[in-house]
Amino acid sequence: MSSMRAASSCTNGQTGCHFLSLANLFDRVIQHSARMHGISNDLHSEFELYFLPSKNQIGRVSRNCHTSTILTPNGKENAQRIAREELTEVILKLLVAWREPLWHFHQNMAQHHEFNNFSSNKSLEMSDMVHELRRGVQKVVEKMQMLGVISSSLGNLASPEALLASDRAEWRLMNDYDLLYCFRRDSNKIQNYLKILKCRIVPEHRC
Amino acid sequence: EVQFFHQSKWLVLLCIHSTSAPESPRQFDCRSREKETFSCWWEPGSDGGLPTEYRLFYEIEKGVRECPDYVSAGENSCFFDKRHTSFWAEYIMMVVATNALGNASAQFQIPDVMNYVKPDPPVNVTVVVNSSAPSPFLEIRWKSPPNVDVRTGWVTPKYELRVKQNDSKEWKTVDIGAQTFFNFHNVEHGLLYMVQVRCNLDYGKWSEWSNTIFAKIPKHHQLEKYFWIFVFVFSLIPLLTAMYILVLKRKVVKQCLLPPVPGPKIKGVDVHLLKSGQSEDVVNALTGNQNFPPMAAWTEQVEDFLLVSDSDEWLLTDTFASEEKKDIFIIPASLHLGLEIQCGDSTVDLNTWEKTDDSKEETKSNFLNTEPINLPIEKQECLSGEEVSIQPNTSYVDIQQRPTLTDYSRVKEVNGDTILILNEEEIPHGSDAVKVKREVSVPDDYSRVKEVNSDVVFLEKGDSKPIMPHDSELSKGFCSKMIANGYVDSVPSFSVK
Repeated sequence: MSSMRAASSCTNGQTGCHFLSLANLFDRVIQHSARMHGISNDLHSEFELYFLPSKNQIGRVSRNCHTSTILTPNGKENAQRIAREELTEVILKLLVAWREPLWHFHQNMAQHHEFNNFSSNKSLEMSDMVHELRRGVQKVVEKMQMLGVISSSLGNLASPEALLASDRAEWRLMNDYDLLYCFRRDSNKIQNYLKILKCRIVPEHRC
Repeated sequence: EVQFFHQSKWLVLLCIHSTSAPESPRQFDCRSREKETFSCWWEPGSDGGLPTEYRLFYEIEKGVRECPDYVSAGENSCFFDKRHTSFWAEYIMMVVATNALGNASAQFQIPDVMNYVKPDPPVNVTVVVNSSAPSPFLEIRWKSPPNVDVRTGWVTPKYELRVKQNDSKEWKTVDIGAQTFFNFHNVEHGLLYMVQVRCNLDYGKWSEWSNTIFAKIPKHHQLEKYFWIFVFVFSLIPLLTAMYILVLKRKVVKQCLLPPVPGPKIKGVDVHLLKSGQSEDVVNALTGNQNFPPMAAWTEQVEDFLLVSDSDEWLLTDTFASEEKKDIFIIPASLHLGLEIQCGDSTVDLNTWEKTDDSKEETKSNFLNTEPINLPIEKQECLSGEEVSIQPNTSYVDIQQRPTLTDYSRVKEVNGDTILILNEEEIPHGSDAVKVKREVSVPDDYSRVKEVNSDVVFLEKGDSKPIMPHDSELSKGFCSKMIANGYVDSVPSFSVK
């Protein structure tokens, strides 16, 4: 909280001041992503009660995820090794990829009455969150570009839909359970990548 | 029959040495302690009586690989170090048991190692009892498990602690969040408590509870309690007594604390008239319906201070002093207003006295009282002075320094020629005023007096006679007395010629 106050008192354009507000922005989006992951986790657990898939089923669930084509770092070292721009791009790609599928998922949930209102509200929240989080990360990117932290080569991300134009139809192949499973995994990725990115860019601030 | 014998031999052989191929492994579980590496264990099935070897193969993304480390995690385990750990990636594990007679395998799917993150419990748990008033509490501190990397933000541990009385069965659990300390307040004196802490990483599985820490709250001294009760009861007694007195002796107390204050009383003044009346009425009430002659302009207002001396030179002769013991100058404060002593031709109005009254600071306080009261000005006489103590209600001046005093008495009327006009009747009660003597002798050192200042009242050197002879004598005497004694009214209205 004190850091928030400090940021508000910073009205001039000092670099240190900007870094402080960038750190605050990061904190906010990280909290947002943590919450989003929490909701996806809850929803997935609820679905498991309905579908009861066998624990050791042989079937490559991950293959069904429409975001499998996006190359993502699979651990801490890799996430730290790749360029900041690349990591940021991955985050944005993921967020963009999930906007439509989650929206449709929520529509389906609202129609099917076997799911209670609790789940329906969560699916709506989840859908909204992914949209807001994408806007938040966009703001962070703009700020980073302004500060010169990352290069401006990410300009093409202004319209990230262009990146995934070819993948639009793939998510429709997923069933609801797979969709929740895939999103739970991707939301965890987003959360972790954001944390790594933040500590790489503003390391002294609560890392 | 030989066939049967051979068959039975084989059967016997089989019965004695019952070995078989191993059973496939059961129960597969994995665990990541810090979200960077992970280990997996399986439960072997029956080994079929023969030494059995277990091998693990895993497939991730593409290609099949073998377990990199069978040793670090113990028996029947596989340890995946950082290089071989991929999160969010699916592992297909296959464990193969092989012995001389065959093999068996089982397949296990690990969709995401993230689901198997379970940290070690927190370390360095310390509990300090803080016995400060009013209630004690436990200061609990701990540290994150050592293998967890918080620095890069990759891992955010969250904690939970629980506290229990040694005797009871129920734990009180508290969600902590990310901080590594907590003050637990729900404790009582004289009891023994048990404290445990655990953590999880990014909403994964909770760790095991840490080692139990015991903490005992020291007993509350019973004596202290009794002491305070004792003090309390004893302090109540005087309090109650005081209240008793206050209540029963209300009036006495009231009299003691708040003595009645006498209301102001001015003779001839009606308080109610003052309150309700108009300003004219007020003025009339105070002045006694006197009509003052119109005010004349000040002739001169030179403020000179008169030197007052105790030396005998200023005194009249002893004979004089002794003879006229009864001559007393009574000088009320109203002298300011009503008294006009004039030794000369100049006319000074009564009203000028009023003005002098306003300039209080010019009067000598040892000479005159400062209370300005508009007493009616009446004919008054100069009296030779004796020590007179002046009563407060008439604002007479207390003159104490000389055997012969010149007290001013109230002047009834002032006009150009007369000076002091004393009125016997106006001498207030209670004063030591003696009857006015009308004859006053004249002192010898006039010239001296003359030098003092022009405000000094002194008689002429005998050139002009006042119109009212007795008055003039009086005035002479008065003036002389005044001068002789060195008392002079510093009121500037005095003019001398």
